[in-house]
Amino acid sequence: MFNNILIPVSSEYYSKEVLKRGVFLAQKFKSKITLIYIIEEKTLKQADKLSDVYRTHYEIAETKKEIIKKHQITADSIIFEDAKIFFKNKGIFLQEKIIEGEYSTVVKNEVNKQKYDLILMGFEKECFLNYRLLDTVDIPIWIESGGDNNSILAVCSNLAPNKQVPIISVELAETFGWKLEMIYIVDITDSVEVDEKGIRSDKKPEKLLISKGQRFIEEMKKKGIKARLVKGSLERETTKAAETINANLVIIGRQRKKEKILGLPMKSIKKRIAEQCDYSILFIN
Amino acid sequence: MKDDNRFSKSKNPIYSRRNVIFIVIAFLLLSLFYILPTPDGLSHDGKIMLGILLMAAVLWITEPIPLAVAGLLIMIIQPLLGVIPADDVFSSFGNQAVFFLIGAFILASALEKHNLHRRIALKFLSYFEKSPRIFTLGIMSSCAFLSFVMPEHGVAALFLPIVASILIAMKVIPKQSNFGKISMLCVAYGCSIGSLGTLVGGARNPLTIGFLSNLDPPILVNFFDWIKYSMPIVLITLPLVWLILQVSFPIEIKDITSAKKEINNQVTLTGKMRRKELSVLIILLFTITLWIFFSSYQYFGLAVIAILASVLLFLSGCISWKDVEQRVPWGIILLYGGAITLGIGMQKTGAGAWLAHLIFDTIGINLYLAILIMIVFTILLTNVMSNIGAVAILLPIGLAIATEIPGISPLLASMIIALSGGLAFMLVIATPGNAITYSSGYYSTRDLFKAGVFANIICIAIIFVVAVFYWIGVLHI
Repeated sequence: MFNNILIPVSSEYYSKEVLKRGVFLAQKFKSKITLIYIIEEKTLKQADKLSDVYRTHYEIAETKKEIIKKHQITADSIIFEDAKIFFKNKGIFLQEKIIEGEYSTVVKNEVNKQKYDLILMGFEKECFLNYRLLDTVDIPIWIESGGDNNSILAVCSNLAPNKQVPIISVELAETFGWKLEMIYIVDITDSVEVDEKGIRSDKKPEKLLISKGQRFIEEMKKKGIKARLVKGSLERETTKAAETINANLVIIGRQRKKEKILGLPMKSIKKRIAEQCDYSILFIN
Repeated sequence: MKDDNRFSKSKNPIYSRRNVIFIVIAFLLLSLFYILPTPDGLSHDGKIMLGILLMAAVLWITEPIPLAVAGLLIMIIQPLLGVIPADDVFSSFGNQAVFFLIGAFILASALEKHNLHRRIALKFLSYFEKSPRIFTLGIMSSCAFLSFVMPEHGVAALFLPIVASILIAMKVIPKQSNFGKISMLCVAYGCSIGSLGTLVGGARNPLTIGFLSNLDPPILVNFFDWIKYSMPIVLITLPLVWLILQVSFPIEIKDITSAKKEINNQVTLTGKMRRKELSVLIILLFTITLWIFFSSYQYFGLAVIAILASVLLFLSGCISWKDVEQRVPWGIILLYGGAITLGIGMQKTGAGAWLAHLIFDTIGINLYLAILIMIVFTILLTNVMSNIGAVAILLPIGLAIATEIPGISPLLASMIIALSGGLAFMLVIATPGNAITYSSGYYSTRDLFKAGVFANIICIAIIFVVAVFYWIGVLHI
């Protein structure tokens, strides 16, 4: 399923948990790993801009060169060194790259250049990391938070395409030997439907959304998947259900954001779920 | 780097409409003040001057154009609107503080060119190799010490690679290690605290003495006076902020052996002191001695000594004009020009006095409350904009406050604002030192904020106590 895994590590955030999960997945799926260390351009530019009047361009360039050099050494002597222990020593194919740029853009370019089946990344809410990536690439994104439980929560809803969620959930549960639970959330705070192409419909009556959800549950039961219907907000109910079953991994379809009004950004449920949870998340289309 | 081909640079220019929006807002505010009716007690020129002050605040906080260009704009807008004659505006460049700044930058560039600053830093650090905790105190003290003799941002840029190399040698993982966090925060905070100590550390210090010397009658502050006023704050703040860092991020590392090795490696790399490096050291010590003992106005004054040092550096072949072009940030002189003319305009048009009157009509006249408000407001403002910009905006208001509140002299108000203006601990955007160390990746914005809030609260208390008991109580300023 995941033959080619991309692990982007930002200079803003590094966690060994991502590498550990990378090994776990690579061993299960015999995958190749590409590890890219991204030197965050945004941070460097901010330092440049702030120094503008106080230091000359010659000095700013000198400092920038030093910072990039230190990041390269950090990547070589800490991150790639760890990766060698985790991957190469276990015979897993590993390719390493260092790229300077903006996180989401670099990952998007890399995904366009080479065929990947999964992006595996860590996250930290208090850094400049941009989660635009969650909306701009089509391949599954696994956000790793660590943890060693053996259960998966599959979340379907009226706000995301649901076709792939049951298929991938079942396959992963079988491959990992983990327990699987599924919920279908009818999000009453945003009563639209999102089709398999990710297009949002107009507002729908609550009754209709619930009956569609019930139909989905019936279909799952026929396939032998234990599922239940929940009414509430996608964000809150996902967190609640994950805590109840002590989930290690939540698999969720990528909800589509509301349209922007007057150019103002709308809340991103994906980003908020990723920031709030203690479990790993796999976003799929 | 094992394989250079792995490194590539993505092309992703960051565009923004925000700059245009903020320029429009700045000019709209000015236009609004131009056309609004003049309030009682304020002249028409004073009203326009308040508009210029607001425009400066918007441009310096949001930085849609370089700070220096904003400085130029502030200078020319005053004669353009007929508030201050052009001669008065440009004569402010004849101020001693401008040439002191130029001389100090040339001296710092000689230190940087010959790596003398690196040698001093490593020597200083090597005295603090006993334990990880003492080592972080060493980083902070070394940064503060070097910021006494060169600009704080240069010190932050110097220490970043030194400390990063040590952390890499210790295999410290960025953002996950408290030792890594404290080490980098010590660089940022050490530079900021040290920059208060002498007139050389931060450009806002010469700006302050420039403001004071333009008063009628002028108040003259020499190098030693400044040290006398500021050093207690440096000496109290440094260990207390270090303690806050230790409590906020308990150090998990016990062994410092690899740090020692790395410092020894770096000392070996710097090699023996060369002749020109020695010459720079002698000129530096000579200059500091002159500044301390002969910078009063009955002797040579600050600028003469600074320029003398620059000439000696040229004559001894330690520095060339190319070095000066490479390492002296002329933009700051233009920013200085804008700031000082803003102060002159606020004073001459009576806008500063009117504003101070308005503020204290609302909150009442209380010496201690006024001191506390000045400290808190300056620290808050300096955390969201450049230090020198914050000081430039608040100094004219502070000087006006001094005329309204009995017990607050112009010197006291200026020292409160100048020193509070250097304590930007909470945000990455607050000062280049924070941004430079943040870019190393060892701490997060949340870490900076967490430590910065407590550090700034302690600083407010320290400056208040020093102002009341030392400046007023002992020095009677």
